[in-house]
Amino acid sequence: MNRNYIFLTILMLLMAIGTFFLTRSNELKQIEPQELLREIIQPTRYVTTDQVAKMIIQKDPSLELIDVRSAEEFNDFALPNSINIPLDSLLNSTSLLNFGIPGTKVVFVANDDIQSDQAWVLTKRLGYNSTYVMTGGLNCWIETIIQPQEPLENESNTAFETYAFRKGAQLYFTGAKAEPQEASKIKVDVVRKKKTAAAAGGC
Amino acid sequence: MGPLITNGIISNGWDFVIAVVIGIAFGFILEASGFSSSRNIVGVFYGYNFVVLRVFFTAVVVAMVGLLYFDYFGWIELSKIFILPTYLTPMIFGGVVMGLGFIIGGFCPGTSFTAVAIGKLDAVFFAAGLYLGIAGFTLVYPYIGGFFNSGYIGNVTLTDVTGISAAWFAAGFTIVALAAFWGTMFIEKRVRKNIKEYKF
Repeated sequence: MNRNYIFLTILMLLMAIGTFFLTRSNELKQIEPQELLREIIQPTRYVTTDQVAKMIIQKDPSLELIDVRSAEEFNDFALPNSINIPLDSLLNSTSLLNFGIPGTKVVFVANDDIQSDQAWVLTKRLGYNSTYVMTGGLNCWIETIIQPQEPLENESNTAFETYAFRKGAQLYFTGAKAEPQEASKIKVDVVRKKKTAAAAGGC
Repeated sequence: MGPLITNGIISNGWDFVIAVVIGIAFGFILEASGFSSSRNIVGVFYGYNFVVLRVFFTAVVVAMVGLLYFDYFGWIELSKIFILPTYLTPMIFGGVVMGLGFIIGGFCPGTSFTAVAIGKLDAVFFAAGLYLGIAGFTLVYPYIGGFFNSGYIGNVTLTDVTGISAAWFAAGFTIVALAAFWGTMFIEKRVRKNIKEYKF
């Protein structure tokens, strides 16, 4: 009887029995607190309603809207193509499948940005990247996209550009009628150059 | 940490490189274990050589127990590993067909190619037959497709189906394997006594 065989048999048996003691703790893995602090002060974790509107209009395939309000609120009004995951079921194993898909940007949406911020912190602590919070939430969405305020005359040009975009977005999302643009009222005089005579032959 | 590709530690393009490296290593181990000889392989059915059983049982047990430890140490996440979908009845039928081919041909698909690599004639015929079989299967697939796709259970493990924890299966398999190692050693000794000529 080979002694090595006996030794290997006992080793393998011990290893196999050892698997009974490999109980994994149920705690979810978390990122380091320092890392969370570093991420939490980044202003880039917020996206504005304008950016979200633009992505929806452009049908950006990387956008993943997660609505963290309750199911009733979600049924009343929600952004197109958003997924409803109420905050209390955010950490279910099925809900977590929505996060961490390579190439997607998860944007959390709620009535304001408090709930969505909570969702952001929870998922960030679990180590999911490319998650964002929509600033101001749906209230801000209504104020800026659905009912945009016309800027005052002394405001900057960018304010007018934003307004023009928001009016366009309003049409897209609500189907409201387009107001005639100021520019279209200006009469355009078309001045045509008179045709000069055909080039006379030189030779 | 792992699976490396799923967790984005290395990019997708590497899977072919890794496949080639693992394939070469697998072929080398098969050849080194003597699997390129069909007498060695079918010996398990006649009782004079159990090297197939030993090598494969060792591989299964080491991988099984090792993965459980790796999962515990956080080196690989077992929940992220691809699990082959189970089609119960067709898989049992396929196993029987494969076993018959094993006895008749003296090779299993992988070992036939290692034997081709070292220039065995019978393996060349076996490999040719293998491709003929594949072609034949594609031709009759329309008639047997229904059976082929029946009995689908999904990407499940024994733990999912039975609810018994993986450690029980690991320990059970290990005990069965070790018992088989010692048992076959005695069978081999008795059978080989009665064989006059024994060459590979």
